[in-house]
Amino acid sequence: MASLDDPGEVREGFLCPLCLKNLQSFYQLQSHYEEEHSGEDRDVKGQIKSLVQKAKKAKNRLLKREGDDRAESGTQGYESFSYGGVDPYMWEPQELGAVRSHLSDFKKHRAARIDHYVVEVNKLIIRLEKLTAFDRTNTESAKIRAIEKSVVPWVNDQDVPFCPDCGNKFSIRNRRHHCRLCGSIMCKKCMELISLPFANKLTSASKDSLSTHTSPSQSPNSVHGSRRGSISSVSSVSSVLDEKDDDRIRCCTHCKDTLLKREQQIDEKEHTPDIVKLYEKLRLCMEKVDQKAPEYIRMAASLNAGETTYNLEHAGDLRVEVQKVYELIDALSKKILTLGLNQDPPPHPNTLRLQRMIRYSATLFVQEKLLGLMSLPTREQFEELKKKRKQEMERKKILERQVDLESQRRFEERQSDLASRAANGDVVSLQGGPAPLRKAEGWLPLSGSQGQSEDSDPLLQQIHNITSFIRQAKAAGRTDEVRTLQENLRQLQDEYDQQQTEKAIELSRRQAEEEDLQREQLQRLCEREWEREREQFRAASLHTRTRSLDFREIRPFQLEPSREPPTHLAYALDLGSSSVQSSAALETPSPITALEPVRVWSGPPAIGQESFPQSIMSQQNELASLNPFDEEDPSSPTAEGTTSPPATEPSFGPSAYILKEYNPFEEEEEEGVAGNPFTNPDGPAPNPFDEEDEDPHQRPSSPPVPGNPFEEGTCTNPFEMDSDSEPEGEEPIEEELLLQQIDNIKAYIFDAKQCGRLDEVEVLTENLRELKRTLAKQKGGTH
Amino acid sequence: MNVVFAVKQYVSKMIEDSGPGMKVLLMDKETTGIVSMVYTQSEILQKEVYLFERIDSQNREVMKHLKAICFLRPTKENVGYLIQELRRPKYSIYFIYFSNVISKSDVKSLAEADEQEVVAEVQEFYGDYIAVNPHLFSLNILGCCQGRNWDPAQLSRTTQGLTALLLSLKKCPMIRYQLSSEAAKRLAECVKQVITKEYELFEFRRTEVPPLLLILDRCDDAITPLLNQWTYQAMVHELLGINNNRIDLSRVPGISKDLREVVLSAENDEFYANNMYLNFAEIGSNIKNLMEDFQKKKPKEQQKLESIADMKAFVENYPQFKKMSGTVSKHVTVVGELSRLVSERNLLEVSEVEQELACQNDHSSALQNVKRLLQNPKVTEFDAARLVMLYALHYERHSSNSLPGLMMDLRNKGVSEKYRKLVSAVVEYGGKRVRGSDLFSPKDAVAITKQFLKGLKGVENVYTQHQPFLHETLDHLIKGKLKENVYPYLGPSTLRDRPQDIIVFIIGGATYEEALTVYNLNRTTPGVRIVLGGTTVHNTKSFLEEVLASGLHSRSRESSQVTSRSASR
Repeated sequence: MASLDDPGEVREGFLCPLCLKNLQSFYQLQSHYEEEHSGEDRDVKGQIKSLVQKAKKAKNRLLKREGDDRAESGTQGYESFSYGGVDPYMWEPQELGAVRSHLSDFKKHRAARIDHYVVEVNKLIIRLEKLTAFDRTNTESAKIRAIEKSVVPWVNDQDVPFCPDCGNKFSIRNRRHHCRLCGSIMCKKCMELISLPFANKLTSASKDSLSTHTSPSQSPNSVHGSRRGSISSVSSVSSVLDEKDDDRIRCCTHCKDTLLKREQQIDEKEHTPDIVKLYEKLRLCMEKVDQKAPEYIRMAASLNAGETTYNLEHAGDLRVEVQKVYELIDALSKKILTLGLNQDPPPHPNTLRLQRMIRYSATLFVQEKLLGLMSLPTREQFEELKKKRKQEMERKKILERQVDLESQRRFEERQSDLASRAANGDVVSLQGGPAPLRKAEGWLPLSGSQGQSEDSDPLLQQIHNITSFIRQAKAAGRTDEVRTLQENLRQLQDEYDQQQTEKAIELSRRQAEEEDLQREQLQRLCEREWEREREQFRAASLHTRTRSLDFREIRPFQLEPSREPPTHLAYALDLGSSSVQSSAALETPSPITALEPVRVWSGPPAIGQESFPQSIMSQQNELASLNPFDEEDPSSPTAEGTTSPPATEPSFGPSAYILKEYNPFEEEEEEGVAGNPFTNPDGPAPNPFDEEDEDPHQRPSSPPVPGNPFEEGTCTNPFEMDSDSEPEGEEPIEEELLLQQIDNIKAYIFDAKQCGRLDEVEVLTENLRELKRTLAKQKGGTH
Repeated sequence: MNVVFAVKQYVSKMIEDSGPGMKVLLMDKETTGIVSMVYTQSEILQKEVYLFERIDSQNREVMKHLKAICFLRPTKENVGYLIQELRRPKYSIYFIYFSNVISKSDVKSLAEADEQEVVAEVQEFYGDYIAVNPHLFSLNILGCCQGRNWDPAQLSRTTQGLTALLLSLKKCPMIRYQLSSEAAKRLAECVKQVITKEYELFEFRRTEVPPLLLILDRCDDAITPLLNQWTYQAMVHELLGINNNRIDLSRVPGISKDLREVVLSAENDEFYANNMYLNFAEIGSNIKNLMEDFQKKKPKEQQKLESIADMKAFVENYPQFKKMSGTVSKHVTVVGELSRLVSERNLLEVSEVEQELACQNDHSSALQNVKRLLQNPKVTEFDAARLVMLYALHYERHSSNSLPGLMMDLRNKGVSEKYRKLVSAVVEYGGKRVRGSDLFSPKDAVAITKQFLKGLKGVENVYTQHQPFLHETLDHLIKGKLKENVYPYLGPSTLRDRPQDIIVFIIGGATYEEALTVYNLNRTTPGVRIVLGGTTVHNTKSFLEEVLASGLHSRSRESSQVTSRSASR
């Protein structure tokens, strides 16, 4: 048991359980066992006893912290005992890692910038408004110019000898032009024009928005409203007119640029693309499903169990409702998928990709949530279910009563047992006195015990019972009984602890064994690979011969690794094997106590060892049952004798086996393999995460335009069908189901076609035809 | 301490914070890899993220009805792209998350570009590493060192990755490093520097025993990455190559179109999760069970759908069947290919000799076996070279070292010059002169007895005898016996108690064999949690590239080959 502390040691070789000698194989171990330890019964007991004591110590160490409620916490403690550490997959969830926000900093910088920007834009728009506020066509040019000049001071001609934008020198031919919005100068080439409608659009939009300003964080500096009236200052400056601008306003590129941006913003705000509208509806439907589906599933589960909490009709209604939502989702997502496909300039590939992805996720959603909707029982079925449940309940009641009786009987046995022990002597006898009385007024397990009766371990159950007895006795003020009961309880707990320890030890041992096995298996594979090689080449080099010797040695062990793990355990012979036995014995606690009276107990210190005889007994049993190897013996020697060809034949090593198995399977596979991009998250589905951007380029080539099965799908509008079939009472659900399935199969076909798996398409088409025929038949029948 | 979970939480938080509505995830090359390791497509779709775009992709369309979640590394280029993006926003609103510390000036220039006020969030979320398994992370850096010293760019990336890891796990550790490695010391100092500089970030609730960061150098154990592996994950990486959980199967003869590239992720592939640490033989039997299971569920091809119930059953089972068939076909293909390679390359025999070279000290028998295998025509030049490398590493100073003879044999076998040069390069990389500790002969009495006993008993499995050197190091560390003169602390304070939370980082790359060791240590040592990381996760091929990239020995001539990082196979 010392090896418990160092799991690395446990796994190596076949240790003799008694002398801890390390042996090379099972056979050696067995022969060693027979030679050295036969007839050492007494010694065996002693050895095992010491092992048990060690285990107990280990257990105590582990349980030190757990104190009183050890019965409860036992199992948890042992889990870590068997593994030691924790699988990284099981590490407890952690909180979100560190984060740092730069938003406030960002906003500060942006605000400074935006203020500037917004002021600029607003200034331009106000000026624009002034420039368009009067009737341009009916005003003479001089007047226009005067007004224009009053809106913004023009830059002095002399100050600008070159066009600031293109750098050309101004001359008589290359004249200066002024921007009406900012007053700057540029040449004719660099001049831009603003049409009146454009100007109107901008000014009217800003009039609307200025009251309720656009972006939430827009600074307060933005100009509120604009004042008119600057028109009054009409000057009488007469100047030479080159052109008359009745329907447009000259400006520089910079101003125009700013205004264009502004226009774009206005446009976007007003325009909601179709896809968004559809998508919003889709999400609404999904939310609805998320609400309703769980409710329905709860109802259906309860109804199917024959309970009468919910109304069958009500559930039916809900089902229809949920199914309708599902159809809506399906229809909406299909619509999204086909949006704009018929437009002349086909939509941008990314738009198509977006639509496809939305459809895909809707399909995923539907598959996950709605295809799993369980069906409701029909009325007759429901009646039957109800009856069945009633019977079940009755049976349960009877069972419970039996359990009650049983526990009472056990309790009584125990009491009488105590009495008989008490009769054996000492102080206890005084307390044992009232035993006969108790029969009549035995403590009943408290009400809580019903829940506890589910405890898998009978010992635990017993412990609970006794605890409740103690409580009752205490309440009744019978201290003497309390004492006996407490002692009883202590014994039980000790027993339970022992059992748990043994279980834990066995668990860890089995762990080790398993690992051993696994390793062995790899070796087996390798050996067989070798063996095959040898057969192929028949090159009997010295090396190979030694290997095959090895092989023979280990082989018998490997022959049955899966069939006889228990015997393995027995062979490695650890404490664990005993626990299997002893726990079996403990299942009916009364027999134990029945045995006990034979022994004379020296007192409390011995109590802890109570179950030794049990484990010893079981050990002996185990020794006897080691014989399974005798059964093996006749077969294995023959295997050993004829080592290679016949023995290795059937098990050429998994790899070879796989290869053989693998090919025929592949063929069949073909049609199945074909990863459905809809259903195959971890399969070979095309993945947008692809680092190479191939996907977006490839995909657009196969948008589902021609022969799109979905178009057919949309033709058979489920809603019309629905209203058709609804009045028919019984039928509609089935028909809906059919339609639904037809749609689904169509989707699969579409899918398969896209991936170019024709065989699959065929199977699916066949199905589809069947379905359609059924549908037609049904319709014929009902109409 | 679960690194996969840590990154996943970050991503979930980003998506959550952006509220309802259609979303697009804008990423760069590296963050794409980071996210794809923790989220599957279908999982993320259900959170309304429908598009995934690269920030540097020019082909993006204006879609004002989408919200954009940007998860980017804070590099100069990314900030540049983002500024362009904000000037002419393509989406309605932007939630920006940087995977590491971003400078104030970058925040400022971003803010100034956001004239249309589309940015709603700017945060640092420290998911700046590739989370491979709950206890294993990588930075996907191949060739981190020039000679014995850091490539400066990679040093800063590694520092960022390591500090991000610490932040995401909320650990402010004490640091120990391998004294014999200059690179380890340098990295330790850089990490410390960041911790000091960003001290506000590293203020976490104190634990009783502070966590420990141990920085090691691959040079100390060049043996482990040279060995063939027999556990599923490690074996797949060794023979097929795993790249961000993806496996390229396009070279498998007769592979079907769907299986050109498969994803092996323990997060959503139950079979893989249960089998990744088991050895090849067990996988074989498990996969057989999986197939039998599958065959039972498989609908009959010509199944007549006679009743509505039949059809209903068919339709309801179909998705599950599909999913299962995906798993089955994937693993059957992978395992089939593995076993094909094993027999084609005679790997069982090769591996046995490798293990002997790595674990035993019998020179003459080892030499004899290597010589014998070099004569075997089935042994590939790659395997032949690695056997000689192992020999050269182990018996570098042996009195009757006959490396020249073996090199002759290699030449006679027709092994290309590239591989022959690599033999000396590997010795230069991880030879005795470089190693800080003794890789082959045990030092203390306990270890000697252990080995003696082992020799007496014979080994359980010849193919998995080898224990990575890391096991011993960690074992000593956990027991508080790791020598301070070999692995000193950075700074004056030392750990008085036994460590509980340990982060080990290997410069020059970890291996899946070491990941398995750490996994087992986690499972068997109560109260200790260990996370392993490396600049990358190596197989032999990538390790040799790493050696080549470090430019030791033949610096000028071979440098051209560094660039050819073909798919590992």
